[in-house]
Amino acid sequence: MSDEEHHFESSDAGASKTYPQQAGNIRKGGYIVIKGRPCKVVEVSTSKTGKHGHAKCHFVAIDIFTSKKLEDIVPSSHNCDVPHVNRVDYQLIDISEDGFYVSLLTDNGSTKDDLKLPTDEALLTQLKSGFEEGKDIVVSVMSAMGEEQMCALKEVSPK
Amino acid sequence: MFNGIAGGGAEDLPQLQSTMRAIELACSYIQINTNPAAAEATILSLHQSPQPYKACRFILENSQVASARFQAAAAIKEAAIREWSFLSTEDKGGLISFCLGYVIQHANSSDAYVFSKVSSVAAFHRYSFSRILGNDLFRIFFFWRYMYTICMLIVSVSQVSEFSPSTSSAMSLPREFHENCRKSLEQNYLKTFYSWAQDAALSVTNKIVESNSDVPEVKVCNAALRLMHQILNWEFRYSKGGTKGSINVFSDGMRSDTASSRKTECVIVQPGASWCDVLLSSSHVGWLINLYSLRQKFAFEGYWLDCPVAVSARKLIVQLCSLAGETMHRSRAASAPPSVRVLPWIDPPDVISKEIEEGRSGSEMIDGCRALLSIATVTIPVVFDRLLRSIRPFGTLTLLSLLMGEVVKVLLANSNDKETWSYEARDILLDTWTTLLASMDGSGVLFSFSNLFTNCNFTPIVASASATTDEDDADCLASVSAMDERLGSYALIARAAVDATVPFLTKLFSDRVARLHQGRGTVDPTDTLEEVYSLLLIIGHVLADEGEGETALVPDALQTHFVDVVEAGNHPVVLLSSSIVKFAEQCLDANMRSSIFSPRLMEAVIWFLARWSFTYLMLVEDCNLGSNQLQSLPSRACLFTFFNEHNQGKFVLDIIVRISLTSLMSYPGEKDLQELTCHQLLHALVRRRNICFHLLSLDSWRNLANAFANDKSLFLLNGVSQRSLAQTLVLSAYGMQSSDASNQYVKDLMAHMTSSLVDLANNSDLKNLAQQPDIIMLLCIRELRGAASATEPRTQRAIYEMGLSVMNPVLRLLEVYKHESAVIYLLLKFVVDWVDGQISYLEAHETAGVVNFCMSLLQIYSSHNIGKISLSLSSTLLNEAKTEKYKDLRALLQLLSHLCSKDMVDFSSDSIETQSTNISQVVFFGLHIITPLITLELLKYPKLCFDYFSLISHMLEVYPETLAQLNSDAFNHVLTTVDFGLHQQDVDIVTMCLRALKALASYHYKETKAGNTGLGSHAAGQTDPNGVFHEGILSRFLRTLLQFLLFEDYSTDLVSTAADALFPLILCEPNLYQGLGNELIEKQGNPNFKTRLANALQVLTTSNQLSSSLDRLNYQRFRKNLNNFLIEVRGFLKTK
Repeated sequence: MSDEEHHFESSDAGASKTYPQQAGNIRKGGYIVIKGRPCKVVEVSTSKTGKHGHAKCHFVAIDIFTSKKLEDIVPSSHNCDVPHVNRVDYQLIDISEDGFYVSLLTDNGSTKDDLKLPTDEALLTQLKSGFEEGKDIVVSVMSAMGEEQMCALKEVSPK
Repeated sequence: MFNGIAGGGAEDLPQLQSTMRAIELACSYIQINTNPAAAEATILSLHQSPQPYKACRFILENSQVASARFQAAAAIKEAAIREWSFLSTEDKGGLISFCLGYVIQHANSSDAYVFSKVSSVAAFHRYSFSRILGNDLFRIFFFWRYMYTICMLIVSVSQVSEFSPSTSSAMSLPREFHENCRKSLEQNYLKTFYSWAQDAALSVTNKIVESNSDVPEVKVCNAALRLMHQILNWEFRYSKGGTKGSINVFSDGMRSDTASSRKTECVIVQPGASWCDVLLSSSHVGWLINLYSLRQKFAFEGYWLDCPVAVSARKLIVQLCSLAGETMHRSRAASAPPSVRVLPWIDPPDVISKEIEEGRSGSEMIDGCRALLSIATVTIPVVFDRLLRSIRPFGTLTLLSLLMGEVVKVLLANSNDKETWSYEARDILLDTWTTLLASMDGSGVLFSFSNLFTNCNFTPIVASASATTDEDDADCLASVSAMDERLGSYALIARAAVDATVPFLTKLFSDRVARLHQGRGTVDPTDTLEEVYSLLLIIGHVLADEGEGETALVPDALQTHFVDVVEAGNHPVVLLSSSIVKFAEQCLDANMRSSIFSPRLMEAVIWFLARWSFTYLMLVEDCNLGSNQLQSLPSRACLFTFFNEHNQGKFVLDIIVRISLTSLMSYPGEKDLQELTCHQLLHALVRRRNICFHLLSLDSWRNLANAFANDKSLFLLNGVSQRSLAQTLVLSAYGMQSSDASNQYVKDLMAHMTSSLVDLANNSDLKNLAQQPDIIMLLCIRELRGAASATEPRTQRAIYEMGLSVMNPVLRLLEVYKHESAVIYLLLKFVVDWVDGQISYLEAHETAGVVNFCMSLLQIYSSHNIGKISLSLSSTLLNEAKTEKYKDLRALLQLLSHLCSKDMVDFSSDSIETQSTNISQVVFFGLHIITPLITLELLKYPKLCFDYFSLISHMLEVYPETLAQLNSDAFNHVLTTVDFGLHQQDVDIVTMCLRALKALASYHYKETKAGNTGLGSHAAGQTDPNGVFHEGILSRFLRTLLQFLLFEDYSTDLVSTAADALFPLILCEPNLYQGLGNELIEKQGNPNFKTRLANALQVLTTSNQLSSSLDRLNYQRFRKNLNNFLIEVRGFLKTK
């Protein structure tokens, strides 16, 4: 029953958003889908089942959006879903008045206004103060399986 | 407050009492946990006050509060360590006799911890202690009431471990002094102590024998025995050589002759010839044995075996068994008595083991085994065997094998619970065998012993050994090396009787394989599989040595035995090997693979094939020959020729290559198996040139190369394996006839990958394409890196071209994957390895190209990463990011170090005069690019820190002039990090920083002396726009270094390096040095110290005819001066 559910969920996520890959080849630092969430693998260990069984991989991974820790055990010869993770850099042009959204400049010159500010207080103040000082800020936005989030920022000193 | 310098009389009494009350109060406050901070401060002030002896003494003598006495004792100890060097002789003497007196008076008091603290004070002063002891003890020794105390005291003194450098430096006494104390103790007192202890024990023995229950004499006896044991544990050094002229102060005291790999400790007692009479007099040994045999008397009480006296007595007996060195040579026969007396502990094995199983303590048995090990360590096998002949119909070896069989049997029976006596006994016995067999190997008189060994029946041991491995598996998965070691020991035993064991193993193996085939599909094969697995491992150990890093030889035992075999096909070793190869070949069949060859069995097969082929396959006669006199044996010849290139060799090689391809392709996701295949088996194959030659002609090898270049399933291998596979394939090019052919081969091998990489990089849609995981998977950077790390002179051209063609793609990918840290790291590591392999071969124009490439790589990397902040909420991911950054930076530093090496090693054909790139400038430029990325936070990673500082100190030592030309920002950054490095804990890093400083200062000094500017404005200091003067860099470091030397804690090993740095700094800034010195002197309140400091500073720069030139002689003199200076003043300068 639960198997079907899982299947349903993953097809919901969309076939093009993930890519199948053998569990034995997913390395630490790579990505993996666990329980329908895109995660970054922080620990892989292989264990042998029984004396002459096949190896199994034990993954500890962290959801790249919510930072929750997830675990999974997969036989090493089976396939796992690997999310397509994209990162795009945008120039920060404005922080909206209400303090929830930012507007970003895309490569082709249009703007992107639907991205939320980070929730973490420290980062938020850093972003805001940098912006108010008039520094040029480049924001990296990570997207995977239909979600997106700001993942890094960088001050570009005008040369 | 607590100042209690001697000289006060009765008028001090109120003050002392108030001190005592304060401390008592503080102690009780601490106990009930009220206001602990204040209480701690009070106690601390006692500990740190100068010369608190009087107050402490008062407390010790008068206080009723035990913890106050404890604190007082601790304070005495601390103060004495601190101030020892400038106490007057009378004070020292007084202090010690007080401590001793106190200890002896209060020996019976209950507060043991006070006692231990005070006695450790006495122990600290052991130098004078032994002298005083010599005089005083005669008076008091015969009061046996004190004997226990005294014995314990000596035990604590003689603990060798207390001679650690840390205590010596804390008391600011040179090591020579400690060495002399040691020497005098060893030569003058130890033996006397020993006899005393013996007398003491003897005198109470009768009482023990007569009494029925636990009398106090037992305690004395036990203490005496422990003392004797401790004395024998002493590292005897001076009585051995006899004529050794000087004392080697800095020898680390390690015995060179004991094998360190042992699991069981076995100390060889070498007290020297003078101990003969004491140790070997038969009454001594006899008495000990008699004492021990008291167990019959106490047997009914049931506690004897494990009661302290019995344990100490046993320990001493075991020690007496291992008497070695000159004492032994005098009368070797004398070792027989103790060893024979040990016999009842272990003989007959079956009866005793049964008794133990029924509840008796196993400690006696284990000590018996230890005694055997001790004896085996000091005797040669023949003598060892003969020991028992006089009283038993069989030799010691037979006893040993019986014992071993028994122990293994018990071990098998209770394999479930670990840590049983049989476990320990098994390890000790295995060590004994190893010792015996190893000493036999070296002696070269192998033949005479072989008879000896064949008489013993080894077969049960080996059989049980192969069975034990089953049991060991569970826990040995965790510690493979331990299992390896154990198997190695079993194999040694098996080799001692190859005549029996090899056919036995062959039979066992074919038996199990037959059983596997019979039960296929019907019976659960797990147990049989496990047996085959263990068998493969043990056969691997028996047939071949590890051969790590050297040419593996066919074991001597296998070469010399089986003399009557003339036909290769009948040679037992050949039979055994062939049957295993035949068995392994079956894994090529898919059906067999699924039913029999589990991944784990495959691991064993691959491991065996790797080990075996490295030793037996296609031997070249003259390099795999063992000892020459054996050459003519026909049996040996057929062993050698059977698997050579003209016979079965090529056929077997083909099978092995096909098996390895199967294990790579058909066991997806089995990481361990693939690693074994790539690292061990294939590596072992390409290590010999003649095998490479044949490999290249094999179709199967070509298939492997093809699969590597084109097959997707090999791309999916684990990263490390992929790299190693690429390395192996490139290395096999070695087997080509000419250098051109080799280059062509490598080019063909890598062409597909380079071109796919170039295609990808030139793709116009790279940005979108690149982020797809399948594309990332298929990036073949790892393969390229593997190939790059296999650079050899022959294939250097091809690999250079490979690198050249991917230069631009690499930069492009670096740009695209800036967020994909895993890919970035791969790219960087590839460049690092490639530059490392290539740089020394490159011509000038090529070097320029490579250097430019590296610089743009650095710039791109830095522009992406500087000022970047990760916004992840997860601390794990943040830490990950930091670790990734650290790894990247470390790779970049390695890249710079490799570039540096161009100046040292250069094989290019250019003459020196050709205009070539100035490497030093390039490296500084590179450093300039990446140092902003190296935050002080990142320098806390030890490896990065080490790499960074070794690069910096290298650069400063070799190219100080380039540093001088840097702009002030870059210059300051470099030196800030040096300053940071000086305050690291790691001795290596501080050393490197000091070397850098030395280089810098001596460069400046020499240049300015020659009339040049040297470091110029950096050194002179400058006034900034606000009018604040910033002092020059050298002045700053002079300050820092003096501060460091005088007031901080550091290892004494650093002093000489620091002297080398300090000397040129002082020469550069003589005025500042004067000023600092005066300041120091002014600060001292005590006029006595003031003059001492002034004198010491004076002596530091003038004594030993120190002059102001920077040559080796002067450095040496200054080192000596600084050492004396520190000994003289550091003690009181550090006291606050």
